Amino acid sequence: MLSRRQLLAASPTTLPLFLALSACKGPAVLSGPPPVSDQTNMLLHAVTVEQNLIWLYGKTAAAHSSLKTALAPILAEHQAHLAQLRGRVIEPPGKHVPDTVTVRPAVGATPAAALTQLRAAEKAAIATLMSRLGGASPSLAQLYASVAASEATHVTELTGQIGA
Amino acid sequence: MAATNARVAALQAALAAENAAVYGYGVTGAMLAGTAQSLAYADWRAHEVARDVLQAMLVKAGATPVAASPAYALPFAVTDASAARRLAAWLEDGVARAYLGLVGVDDQALRAFGAQAMQPPAIRAAAWSGTTVAFPGMPSPQGPDIAHTTP
Repeated sequence: MLSRRQLLAASPTTLPLFLALSACKGPAVLSGPPPVSDQTNMLLHAVTVEQNLIWLYGKTAAAHSSLKTALAPILAEHQAHLAQLRGRVIEPPGKHVPDTVTVRPAVGATPAAALTQLRAAEKAAIATLMSRLGGASPSLAQLYASVAASEATHVTELTGQIGA
Repeated sequence: MAATNARVAALQAALAAENAAVYGYGVTGAMLAGTAQSLAYADWRAHEVARDVLQAMLVKAGATPVAASPAYALPFAVTDASAARRLAAWLEDGVARAYLGLVGVDDQALRAFGAQAMQPPAIRAAAWSGTTVAFPGMPSPQGPDIAHTTP
């Protein structure tokens, strides 16, 4: 069995020879990445949810220019959420922090329909975040709760715009 | 034991924030009129209900609920409707922050309760201030650097 000191001292070219000579299979750490924890998977999913929301807000503002100004502050808050969530991720081996949108629905045909669609997306995001509180660390749970509360203010804001 | 203490402390902090809100809305309501005063009254009632819920939770946990103070120091002078609105938003921020403390405890039911309970004050704070924030209850508008789990 190789000591940690021996492994660290070995160069990339001599390491295989070293391992062969020591007649061992190598330390477990070289056999493959460990499974990603549930908490990390939940965090990665929360990142994806925010990305999907940002995409939908961007598309809605592009499709309905009359909504662009009203939606801009909410979009900025979602971007802040995404930055905080991504900042919590320590990229697990073999898995990248998601940076692509996974859901691309057609934007509502009218401004009212588009706002209703955004509100439904916000509500779904709240449900997702609230369902992840249990398995999260205290700090991460607080981030989820705060983001969910922010989404709740967005629901109210969007409801007001739909009624306006 | 330490975990139980943390839960009770977080509940007491939420109750203290609700007590302050009940007092503060009395000041706010006095400076408002018409629809705004009606809204303040509705929010005041909501805080009374929330206060009662927290008191019951503490009694159930075997703790003595923290009593409301006869008076509270206001963060600024409230002499007109504009200041009254700012005070209402300030009170709601404090309540949201206190409930976020509950989310930091290890009890899953209490965590879920805190997360749910912080949404109405976040919404009310946005209504009174006229603007939303990205991270309700968090100490910095830039987001959470340090988790606030206990008062």
